[in-house]
Amino acid sequence: MPWGQRGHARGTLPLDAAESFALARSFRYYGKKRGNRRTGSPALGRAGEAIFWAVLLLLGCSGTIVLLLQFVVPEWRVNHEFVTTTCKVVDKRIGERRGEDGPLFRPEIKIEYEVGGTTYRDWHYDIHHHKIGGGYSSGRENAQAVLDQFPLSGTATEARYPCWYDPMNPYVAVLVRGYRRWVWWAFTVPASFVVIGAGGLIYTLLQWGKSAEHRAVMAQRAQERDFFGANASEPSPYLFVPAGTDITSSPGTRLSFRLPMTKSPGWALFGALVFCVVWNLSVFAAILIGLRMAGRFGWFLAIVVPLGLIGLGAIVLFLRQLLVAARIGPTLLEISGHPLQPGGQYRLFLSQSGRLTIRDMRVSLVCEETASYRQGTNSRTEIQEVQRYELFRRPQFAIERGVPFEMELDFSVPEGAMHSFKADHNEINWAVTVESDMVVRPNYKRSFPVIVLPAQGDLGR
Amino acid sequence: MSAEPTVVIRLDGDGFVYRPGETLSGQYWIVSRDTSPVKAIEVSVLWHSEGKGDEDMAVHEFWQRDADELHPIDPGQPERFRTTLPQSPLSYEGQMIKLRWCVRVRAFPYRGKELVGERQFQLGNVPPVRVRSPA
Repeated sequence: MPWGQRGHARGTLPLDAAESFALARSFRYYGKKRGNRRTGSPALGRAGEAIFWAVLLLLGCSGTIVLLLQFVVPEWRVNHEFVTTTCKVVDKRIGERRGEDGPLFRPEIKIEYEVGGTTYRDWHYDIHHHKIGGGYSSGRENAQAVLDQFPLSGTATEARYPCWYDPMNPYVAVLVRGYRRWVWWAFTVPASFVVIGAGGLIYTLLQWGKSAEHRAVMAQRAQERDFFGANASEPSPYLFVPAGTDITSSPGTRLSFRLPMTKSPGWALFGALVFCVVWNLSVFAAILIGLRMAGRFGWFLAIVVPLGLIGLGAIVLFLRQLLVAARIGPTLLEISGHPLQPGGQYRLFLSQSGRLTIRDMRVSLVCEETASYRQGTNSRTEIQEVQRYELFRRPQFAIERGVPFEMELDFSVPEGAMHSFKADHNEINWAVTVESDMVVRPNYKRSFPVIVLPAQGDLGR
Repeated sequence: MSAEPTVVIRLDGDGFVYRPGETLSGQYWIVSRDTSPVKAIEVSVLWHSEGKGDEDMAVHEFWQRDADELHPIDPGQPERFRTTLPQSPLSYEGQMIKLRWCVRVRAFPYRGKELVGERQFQLGNVPPVRVRSPA
């Protein structure tokens, strides 16, 4: 049988055999279904990607060509190809036309000049006047200021002004030359389209027809070349293990490092306050508007009441956070060494301030898995605690204001602990958590992330 | 011999558990009744995730052999590969996340479907996460 005519399903095979299967090369509109979500056809996706980048590139190129033809080439011709002569100003006026946002104006100067014995007399100013609807702007004063620079050439003064005419069409003449600066700034828009479109298209085409592994290698090599980014520093031997440099940035007073908290209670309080104020002000404003709409307040009330209830909930949330912040003081956690090694021995210092009557306090080393996935157009993240090692537990005690509860303890990271791991969609995170059940609620939980490195020990074979 | 073409990947050593930094070596070939040549073969040593989250994948080592008129590829001829395994990520059998290491061989025939063979191995010895019973 020739290759690839028939494949077989993937399954569990003995250790000395490889799992082998044939892959269809034909085009699929739909990808495989994964659980309850469809992953989409990679080929169709890449085709769509290529079309998207191509359209972006085309738009950029078209914009660039339009700008060149409309502004740059005419202005360049005026500066380099038009012939210099002199003219008389015989009349002037402000041209006006209706724009979308009101009237538009432009200076119009009637000049008289001679080319090869022929006298030309017409309305001119700059090269853009010769395009239909060209040279207009919203400022009448600007147009008047231009006109004021060109007094009429009366019979008494016979003043003459320099002007430039097109040798290919002497009917076209201008009184001013130069380049408009904004045109060059305008080029940044189509240029960015060209750069992004071309870059995306090249990237997509380079990946076209490549296997998933080949594409992954190309992406990895591109990241390695990114010497402006995080890869500029010395690469860690522990790939996909977070560096955790921010964890060791703060020295401790008793032990080596003071661990940072995942979420500061101060920020939670501030967030609750902002939400509470913004929401309730919005509801209050809505009520005021509703009161002005006399006669239609009935249905308006039906909308405002649920919003007001949410506002009340926000006030309760804020007061709860305020209570937590006021009663439960700072939790400080210091550690003797970091990052952690499986099997390694460490010392922990805990300081808990506040005025608390605690029913049950627990300090634990916790491992959580975090998985992110797309479901339709939504991105979802799920977190699951998979391991918990209780390091300390103390029931029924009180902490007085000004006398923080302090304790030190030794602990070891389990030998078989999985290391911290971080990839684009999956993470394994370790943290030391301090949790207290209070006699009077609310309870609290504070989490201090730590990094666990891969075990380097013997496999026990 | 199987009627269907099969990729055979044989790993040296115990062929299953490897330490970080250890050398992984082995050989691969394709078993098929048909001896038609292939235009390219790719060999990758990689890890990928399985489970609830979208798939993450990184290739540790990648080799590509392209055939030309002077150097056709005989797919039945065993070819060796060798690499030093990295320190991480270690193989992991979690609750939502699984990290699997494998050697993957992908063969591209001149006509028809590509053929893929995969041989899993374990990097490190992290024990599987046991489901915790609710307190």
